[in-house]
Amino acid sequence: MKRALVVLGVLAVMISVGMVGLADAYVPGTPLKVGFIYVGPIGDYGWTYAHNEARLIVEDTFPWVETFIVESVAEGQEEAFIDQLIQEFDVDVVITTSFGFMNGTYAAAQRYPDKIFAHASGFMRLPNMLTYMADFYQVYYLNGIIAGALTETNKVGYVGAFPIPEVKRHLNAFALGVQAANPEAEVQASWIYEWFNPAGAKEATEALIADGCDMFAFTEDSPTVVQVAADNGLLSFAHYGSQMYQFAPDYVVSGQAVHWDAIYVDFLQKIYDGVYTAQNLQNVDYWWLMSQDAVAAEAQPGVPINPLYVDALKAYMVDDPVLGMISAYDLFYTRLAQFSNPGVTFDPFQGPIVDRTGVVRVEEGSWLSVDSLITMEWRVSNVVGSWPNEP
Amino acid sequence: MSWESWVIATFSRTLAYGTPLLLATLGEIYAERAGVLNLGVEGMMIIGAFAGFAVAHNTGNPWLGVLIASAVGGVFSLIHAFASITLRANQVVSGLALTMLGLGLSGVLGRRFEGMPLFHPLKEVTVPGLASIPILGPILFDGQNLLVYISIVLAVIMWYVLYRTRIGVSIRAVGEDPATADSLGVNVARVRYLCVFVGGVLAGMAGAYLSIAYRPSWTDGMTAGMGWIVIALTIFAFWNPLLGLVGAYFFAALFHLSFRLQAWVAPELLKAMPYALAILVLIAVSRGTLQKRMGAPSALTLPYRRGEE
Amino acid sequence: MKLLSRIHVERRTASPAWLVFAVSVGAIVAALLVAGIFFRAYGVSPLRAYGDILRGAFGSRLGITETIRRAIPLLLIGVGLTVAFRALFWNIGAEGQLLIGAVAATGIALFSGLPGGLLLPAMFVGGFLAGAAWGIIPATLKSKLGINDVITTLMMNYIAIYIVDWLIHGPWKGPSMRGFAYTDPFPAAAVLSTVGDTRIHWPTLVIGIVAAIVAYIVVKRTRLGFEIRVVGENQHAAKYSGISHVKITLLAMAFSGGMAGMAGVGEVAGIHHMLLGPANVTGGYGYTAIIVAWLARRNPLAVIITAFLFAVLLRGGDVIKVSLGLPFQLVNVFNGLILFFLIGSDILMRYRISFGRKERETV
Repeated sequence: MKRALVVLGVLAVMISVGMVGLADAYVPGTPLKVGFIYVGPIGDYGWTYAHNEARLIVEDTFPWVETFIVESVAEGQEEAFIDQLIQEFDVDVVITTSFGFMNGTYAAAQRYPDKIFAHASGFMRLPNMLTYMADFYQVYYLNGIIAGALTETNKVGYVGAFPIPEVKRHLNAFALGVQAANPEAEVQASWIYEWFNPAGAKEATEALIADGCDMFAFTEDSPTVVQVAADNGLLSFAHYGSQMYQFAPDYVVSGQAVHWDAIYVDFLQKIYDGVYTAQNLQNVDYWWLMSQDAVAAEAQPGVPINPLYVDALKAYMVDDPVLGMISAYDLFYTRLAQFSNPGVTFDPFQGPIVDRTGVVRVEEGSWLSVDSLITMEWRVSNVVGSWPNEP
Repeated sequence: MSWESWVIATFSRTLAYGTPLLLATLGEIYAERAGVLNLGVEGMMIIGAFAGFAVAHNTGNPWLGVLIASAVGGVFSLIHAFASITLRANQVVSGLALTMLGLGLSGVLGRRFEGMPLFHPLKEVTVPGLASIPILGPILFDGQNLLVYISIVLAVIMWYVLYRTRIGVSIRAVGEDPATADSLGVNVARVRYLCVFVGGVLAGMAGAYLSIAYRPSWTDGMTAGMGWIVIALTIFAFWNPLLGLVGAYFFAALFHLSFRLQAWVAPELLKAMPYALAILVLIAVSRGTLQKRMGAPSALTLPYRRGEE
Repeated sequence: MKLLSRIHVERRTASPAWLVFAVSVGAIVAALLVAGIFFRAYGVSPLRAYGDILRGAFGSRLGITETIRRAIPLLLIGVGLTVAFRALFWNIGAEGQLLIGAVAATGIALFSGLPGGLLLPAMFVGGFLAGAAWGIIPATLKSKLGINDVITTLMMNYIAIYIVDWLIHGPWKGPSMRGFAYTDPFPAAAVLSTVGDTRIHWPTLVIGIVAAIVAYIVVKRTRLGFEIRVVGENQHAAKYSGISHVKITLLAMAFSGGMAGMAGVGEVAGIHHMLLGPANVTGGYGYTAIIVAWLARRNPLAVIITAFLFAVLLRGGDVIKVSLGLPFQLVNVFNGLILFFLIGSDILMRYRISFGRKERETV
C-alpha cells in the first residue's frame, strides 16, 4: 500500500514536469517526415488499402519524403498515436484518414501549432490543419449510365455501408446515371450498417437478386458483392478498382478507383516548397474529383469499361435531352470527358432534380454546392428500398 | 414478385447462411452437453476459415481445405480442453483466451492471403430431377453446397447418438453429474476431451465453409461475431442437435430478412434478437421440470476431479 | 502432533503470498517467452520488442501518461469485477455495462438541461445507476431463477451494443455531425478535466483509486465483506448462517455493473466527448478487465497494480505497432497467451491450497 503510494507520487512528479524539447517547425526544402494514421488494416480491400497505395506512390515520387504508418487505429485513440509520431519519430506532417479522427486531430493540431495536419473527409480546420476528400459521385454517375443500359430487369441493386450523406450522395449519383440511360429502371438500396461485413454484403446482394436486381454497385470494403453477382452470372461495379476486379474479371463492367496520391503529392509538394505552412491552412479544403485525377471510373487501371461489354453499350441508344440520340457508350465517354475537363461543363446533380417525395432539390440550370452535396439526405425519384432519415 | 419466388429465395438463403451456424452449434452442443463451455467458438471458426483457405488456395483442392480446417479447429480446441479439463482452469477465461488467440493468429498468418481470389471454391450442386420439384426443388436441390446436406445429416446423427446410444448417455451423464458418471465407470476426462474436440472440428469446418464456399476468400476477422451467435444458438436449441437445426435456420432467416425487410424493421432490432431470445429462452425453462428436461447441463463450466465436491 | 501440524499450516498460509506473486510473474514470463517465438517468426528480436514496449510505456512522459489513461477504465471495471467474482458471479458483461453507463452519461450530458456544475456529478451517478441496473438483471436471473451468469452477461453485451448502434444511427444522431453516426459533442460543462495537457481525466482516476480502497476495506474488514466471501465460497454455509444469497449477489453485481458504468462515463466524458460506435467506446476494456481482476486474485487493492500492468501492455502494443511495424493482431496473440498461462498456472496454487485444506481437515 505504502509502496503503491510512493510509486504514484513519483509518477505524479514525472507527469507534472512539462514537456521538453519539442521539435521545431518544418523548414521548407528539407527532408519531410510524414505520419499516416489509418482506421483499418492495410490489407482491407478498400479505404485503407487505397490510402496506403497512395503513400507508396508518394514515397516513390519524392525522394525527400519519409513516411511512418499506424494501421487499425480505433476512433478516440488517434491522439496518442499522433503524439508518438511527433515526439518519437519527429514527423512534420500527420495525415489522419478517417472522419472519426476529427476531434483528436483537431486537439492535436492545437497542441502542436508548428506541425501540419491533414484530415480526410472532415470539416474542422485550423491554420495548421487542412481537410481533403476525393469524391466518387461523378464516377458513380458514369457507372450508373452503364447499369441503366445493361440491366434487363430494369432493377439495379446498390449495397450501401451506412445510410449517411456520403453514401447517399453516391447512390443518388448512381441512380441519376441509371435514369439518364434508362428512365424505366429503378435502383434498390440495401444497407448493411458496416463499412466491412462480408456476410452482410453477401446476404444483402442475395436479397437484391431475389428481388430481381441484375446489376450491382456497392460501398463496402470487401469484394463480396462482385463475387456473389458473378456467381449468379450478374454484373457489378468494382469498388476501389483493381483489387476487386480480379475476383470476377468477366463480370466487372466498370468501377470506382481513387488516387489519394494526387492530393498527397499536391499538398506535400506545396509544404516542401513553403507554400503551405502551419499558418495558412485555415481555408485549405481539397474536394477533388475526376478533373484533378483524384478519382476515376475504371474496371481496372486504364480500362474504363470492360471490353466484353463495349459492343452492348454501343448498341444501346439513349435519347438525351441535349445530346439527342446517342449510344450509352458515347454518352459514357461524353460525360467522362466533361468530368475530366478542368472546366467541368456537366454535373450529375444538375437541375432540375425532384426528389422522391416531389420536392425540388436542384433548380433548373443550377448545380448543388459542395455543402449541399456533403449533407445530402434526400433521394432521387428512382431509388427504392429503405432510406433512413429521408426529409 | 410472386410469393413462390419470395419463399424460394428466403428459404434457400436460410439454408446457405444457416449451415456454418448449424455446424458450429452442433459442436458447441456436444461440448456443453459434456459440461465444458467453450467461448472460443469464434476463435476456432476463424482459425478454421484461415487454414481452410490457405490449403485450398495452395493445393487447389477445396475438400482438402475443409479437411485440414476441421483438423486445425480440432487441435486448436484441445488447448481449451487441456486448460479446462486437465488443468481444471476456468472455462470462461480459457474460452475467451482461445478466441483472442484465434483472431490474433489468423490475422497475423493470414496477411499474405488477403485479397487473393480462390479459383477452386467448393462448388454448389444441383440434384438433377429433384431440382424440378416445385418450390421444394429450388430451395433444397438447386445450387446448394454439399456441406449444407452434410450438416443436416450430421444434425440427425448427432441427435441420435446423444439420445439413443450409450455414448450419448455417457456424454449427458458427464455434463449433468460427473461424479455419478465417474462412479459408473465413465471416463469423465476422456468424454469431455472428445466432445470439446468434436466442437473444434465442427467449428473449423464451419470456418472453412465461410472461406471456401460461402464467400471464397480470406479476410481478417471474416467470421464477424458468428461464434457468439453460436453460443446464443446453443442455448436457444436447448442443447439439442435437432432443435439446433431449427434454431440455426431461424437465426439465418432473421439475418437474411433483416436485409429484405429493412425498410420496415430496424436492423438493430433483428440483430439483437438472437441474444435477447437466448435470455428469454433461459428464463422460460428456468423452472421445475422444464429446467431438468430442457435447461443447461447441470455441471456446465464446473471442472471435475475425482473426490472433490 | 496437533501443535506440529498447526505450525505446518501456518508456514503454508505464509508461503502463498509469495507463491501467488511468483506464479503470476512466472505465467507472464512464460507467455512472454512463447510470444517471443512469434516475434522471432516475424523477424523481430523479442528483446527489442519487449524493450520497445517498456520504453513506450515508461520511457517518456507521454508513455507514462498514456499508460495511466489506459489504466483508468481497467481499474474501475477491475475493482468491480473482483467483488462480483468474490460472490462467485461470473460477470463477463462489463463491456455492456460500460456501454449502458456511457449511454446514460450521454443522455444526461446532451438532453438533461441540468446547470453546468451539476452535469458531471449527475453523469457519474447516472452512469453508475445505469450500469448497476444492467448488472442487476443477470444477477436477478441467476439468484432467483438459477440462470447461468456467464451466458446472460455475455448476451447482454450484444444487446447493449445494438442499443448504442440504434441510438447513434437513429434518435441521438447528432445534427452537427453531417450525417455520420455520432451524437453531437458534449457541452464543455460535461467534459472531464484532465491533468495538464495529458489525457488523464483525473476525476475518474480518483474515483477508481478510492473505490479500490473502499472495496478492499469492505471486503476484508466488514460484515458485508464477510457475507460476500461466504456466499462465494460456500453457498450452503451461507444459507445456514442466514446470509441472503440473493441480496449479496444483487449488491455485488450492482457494484460491479455500476463501476463498469462509471468507466463508460469516463470514456465518453473524458476521451471521446460524444457517444460513438460501441467498439470504439469500450475498446475491449470490459474483456481485458477480466484478466486484470483475475491476475489481482480478486483483491480490489491489487487491481491498482494489475490494471496498470495491462495498461502497459495495451500502450506497449500500440507503440510496437508503430515502431516495429508489427501487425496489430499480434497484440491479440499476446493477450491470449498471457491468459492461457495465467489460468494454466493457477493449478500450481490451487493444488497448494487444496493441499493446505486437507492439512487443515486433519487438525
